[in-house]
Amino acid sequence: MIKKISMKKKSEKNIISNGGPVIKMVNVTKSFGELVVLRNINVEIKKGEVLVVLGPSGSGKSTLIRCINRLEKINEGKILLDGKDIYSPDMDVHKLRTRVGMVFQQFNLFPHMKVIDNIMLSPIKVKNIPKDKAKEEAMELLKKVGLEDKFNSFPHELSGGQQQRVAIARALAMNPEVMLFDEVTSALDPELVKGVLETMKELATMGMTMVVVTHEMGFAKEVADRVIFMDEGIIIEENEPKELFENPQNPRTQAFISKIL
Amino acid sequence: MAGQGFQIDLFIKILPELLRGAAITVQLTAFSVAIGTLIGLFAGMARISHYKIFNLPSAFYVEVIRGTPLLVQIMIVYYGLPALGFNLDQYTSGILALSINSGAYIAEIFKAGIKSIKKGQTEASISLGLNYMQTMRYVILPQATRNILPALGNEFIALLKDSSLVSVIAISELLRRGMIVYSRTYDAWTPLLGVALIYLCITIPLSRAVQFIEKRWEIHD
Repeated sequence: MIKKISMKKKSEKNIISNGGPVIKMVNVTKSFGELVVLRNINVEIKKGEVLVVLGPSGSGKSTLIRCINRLEKINEGKILLDGKDIYSPDMDVHKLRTRVGMVFQQFNLFPHMKVIDNIMLSPIKVKNIPKDKAKEEAMELLKKVGLEDKFNSFPHELSGGQQQRVAIARALAMNPEVMLFDEVTSALDPELVKGVLETMKELATMGMTMVVVTHEMGFAKEVADRVIFMDEGIIIEENEPKELFENPQNPRTQAFISKIL
Repeated sequence: MAGQGFQIDLFIKILPELLRGAAITVQLTAFSVAIGTLIGLFAGMARISHYKIFNLPSAFYVEVIRGTPLLVQIMIVYYGLPALGFNLDQYTSGILALSINSGAYIAEIFKAGIKSIKKGQTEASISLGLNYMQTMRYVILPQATRNILPALGNEFIALLKDSSLVSVIAISELLRRGMIVYSRTYDAWTPLLGVALIYLCITIPLSRAVQFIEKRWEIHD
C-alpha cells in the first residue's frame, strides 16, 4: 500500500518537476551572537520535491527552515523564492509567509479558538476572504486531514496527533507554494505519529513542495526525493534517500545513520 | 453622644448619606480602572517593544508613578494643573489622577500577561502572514487578557480602597461623607466604622468573584 503511494507520487512528480527551483539558498550564514549555526549553506528545492533534512540536535536544521520564512534573519547570503530575494525591499514579509506554510513541533494552535476558527483566522484577516467561503474551504481541509467532525472543538479537546493535523490544515489554508515541517512528530506519543505522517505523505502525493526536518527515517526513506544530512551548521552530505541511508560517504553521516537505524 | 462607641441608630440614620458616597467611590474607581486599563494596555505593549522610542517613555512613566505616593499625585493634578492653566473640577481631577496611577500598575500587569504567552503562539501567527498588530489583537491579547483578569480584578479592589485618598480634594466619596458626619456629630466610631464596613461589603464579594474566576479557569485548562 505504502509502496503504491510512493510510486504514484514519483510518476506524478515527473510531470511537474521542470522549471527553476522554488527555493534557492545561496551561501547562507546565520549566527546567534557568537554561535554560528549555519555556515555557507547552498540548497535548491525544486517544485513538487520533498526534501528531508536530517542531523543531530543543534546541527542547525531547524534554523535552516526557519530562515526560509524569515522567522530567523540570515547574516550573509541569499534566499530566493521563485527566483526572488526574500529580503528584497519590495518583498513584503507577511506576504512571503502566506506563500510558505509552516508546521511546528509544538503544534502552536491558538487555544482560545475553535478548530475551525484556527484555520479561518488567516484567510479572513490576511487574505480578506469572506467568512462563508473561508469556512467552506476550512471544512474541505479538515476533511482532507480526516477531522471534519472536530471543527467545533477546542484544541485542548484533541489528541496531540489531531492537533498537529489541524495545524497542517491551518497552514494549508493559505494555499502555500511550499510547506516547512519542523520536527512535527517529535512531541507526539508514538501511536499518534503515524496519522500525522500519513497526512504528510498524502500532501507529498498531491505534489506539494515540502522541506521536512524529522527523525522519522521511515518517512524519509519512503517519501523523500532527496535527503540532506547536516552537522554543526554545514551540509555534510546530500543524496537520494536510498543512497544516503545504504551507502553514506562521509564518516559523520555513517556514524549518525548507524546510531538511528 | 461622643465617646459612646458604635451607635446602631445613628448608623442607620446616616447610612443613606454614606451609601451615596459609596456610589461615588465605585463610580470613580470604575471610570479610573477603565481609563487605566486603556493606558495600561498601550503602556504595557510599549514597555515590551524593541523600539526605545516606545519602551523608554513607558518605563519612565511606570517608574515615576509607582515610585511616588498616590496622595502626592492627586494633589499635583488638583493644585498643580490649574497653575498651568488647566482648570478641572474635583471629580475630573480625581479620575485623572486615579487613572494615571492605575495605568502604571495595569501596564505592568499587561506586560506580564503578554510575556506569559508562549513564543510559539506569535511564531505560528506571523507564519500565517498576520502582522504584529493582528497577532496582538487576535492571538496574544485574548489569551493574555484572560490570564490577567484576576490581576485586573485585584487592581480594581486596590484602587477602590486607594480612592479614599481623593477625599483630600473634597470629593464627597465614601470616606469624605464619613468625615462630614464626624465633624457634625463629634462621634468618630459610628461614621468611620460604618465607612469601613461599607468598604468591606464591596471588596469581599469582589475578591470572592476574582477567586471564583481564577478557580474556574484552572479547571477549564
